[in-house]
Amino acid sequence: MSTPARRRLMRDFKRLQEDPPTGVSGAPTDNNIMIWNAVIFGPHDTPFEDGTFKLTIEFTEEYPNKPPTVRFVSKMFHPNVYADGGICLDILQNRWSPTYDVSAILTSIQSLLSDPNPNSPANSMAAQLYKENRREYEKRVKACVEQSFVD
Amino acid sequence: MSEDEIPVVSSTSQDDLIIQQHREIEKEISERIKLVGPKEGLETLENEYSNDDVYLKKTKILANNYDCLRRTRPDGNCFFRAFGFAYLEYLLENKEEYARFRELAKQSKDKLIELNFPKFTLEDFHDVFMDVVNVVGKGPVAADELYHMFNEQGHSDYVVVYLRLIASGHLREKEEFYQNFIEGDRTIVDFCSQEVEPMYKESDHIHIIALSTALDVGVRVRYMDRGDGSEVIAHDFPEGFANQAVHLLYRPGHYDILYPKLQAQLIMS
Repeated sequence: MSTPARRRLMRDFKRLQEDPPTGVSGAPTDNNIMIWNAVIFGPHDTPFEDGTFKLTIEFTEEYPNKPPTVRFVSKMFHPNVYADGGICLDILQNRWSPTYDVSAILTSIQSLLSDPNPNSPANSMAAQLYKENRREYEKRVKACVEQSFVD
Repeated sequence: MSEDEIPVVSSTSQDDLIIQQHREIEKEISERIKLVGPKEGLETLENEYSNDDVYLKKTKILANNYDCLRRTRPDGNCFFRAFGFAYLEYLLENKEEYARFRELAKQSKDKLIELNFPKFTLEDFHDVFMDVVNVVGKGPVAADELYHMFNEQGHSDYVVVYLRLIASGHLREKEEFYQNFIEGDRTIVDFCSQEVEPMYKESDHIHIIALSTALDVGVRVRYMDRGDGSEVIAHDFPEGFANQAVHLLYRPGHYDILYPKLQAQLIMS
């Protein structure tokens, strides 16, 4: 059945294939357009470089009026990522706009990897190390990068 | 645990829990109240306030000028939805004004793209919005179809989104002027992305001013609250605009649609 959410997700998918942003990819799972798998490649010149981080995106019928739920499946060490992979990012919560599509969501998360916001921590250890001990922070992130090859 | 001790890693996101709870409340409301309700006589308001002297008195005053109302779902979108329905319903009977509005609506897409709204998604909303506008072009016979579309979440919400984008576009375009009305140190762009563009965010005067000015449509809002005085104060947007195509009833936190008595009825009463 075609609903506004499904119709829009087909459009999002088409656009992602025709005009793929650098360093991110995503596609609906085989049997359900409401659940997507995505990958974000760690941005260059950040400790996340070379990592391939997997995510799931779950949409409801209220998309695009409400944001999807986005989670990292790969283990992450990042000030704005919760232990369960949930992401603390304003555009996925109170700054969501229906004009964002999957492509915009993934590129926003990609830039969050480059520019964490340690003032709104989901992982306070990561936030503290990011502010006070950048070397240790990078060491922990690198461990996630290596882990992401195995997953 | 003292306030400044934060657990090292929270096991689940607090935001998710809050969102979950919001969804449950919204579901309850949506099962009870239609997105746009049927036309009711104003006496239903009197019944609602039969035990409330202040509101009862004001409802009776309101009845001097209005005879019907239409309730909208209190989901934070009520101003935009009420405005959208009331204005399009008005256009069913006003061919000339319809032609003007259709042209403006058609051109609004390029204007919003110029203001840096993402083209790809904007087109999606614009297409659906124009589908609804085109239905209105059929004239009075399309009244039921319009009512049906506004009660179907897909069309109805897309209209709300598009009107929000038009309001946001206007605020961004006249940034210098509207900046004076924003409290705190938020920029217009911040304000738009936090309070205007997201669905379910309630509307304030600035939203009404922006939308009515952008579309050049007069709105009269009747304010009914617990304040003293025996008036139901009318506020016109944009200020000083002579013709009101849309009449809304505001009760704290919510907008419904009002229908003025015809001139002939006014003279008789």
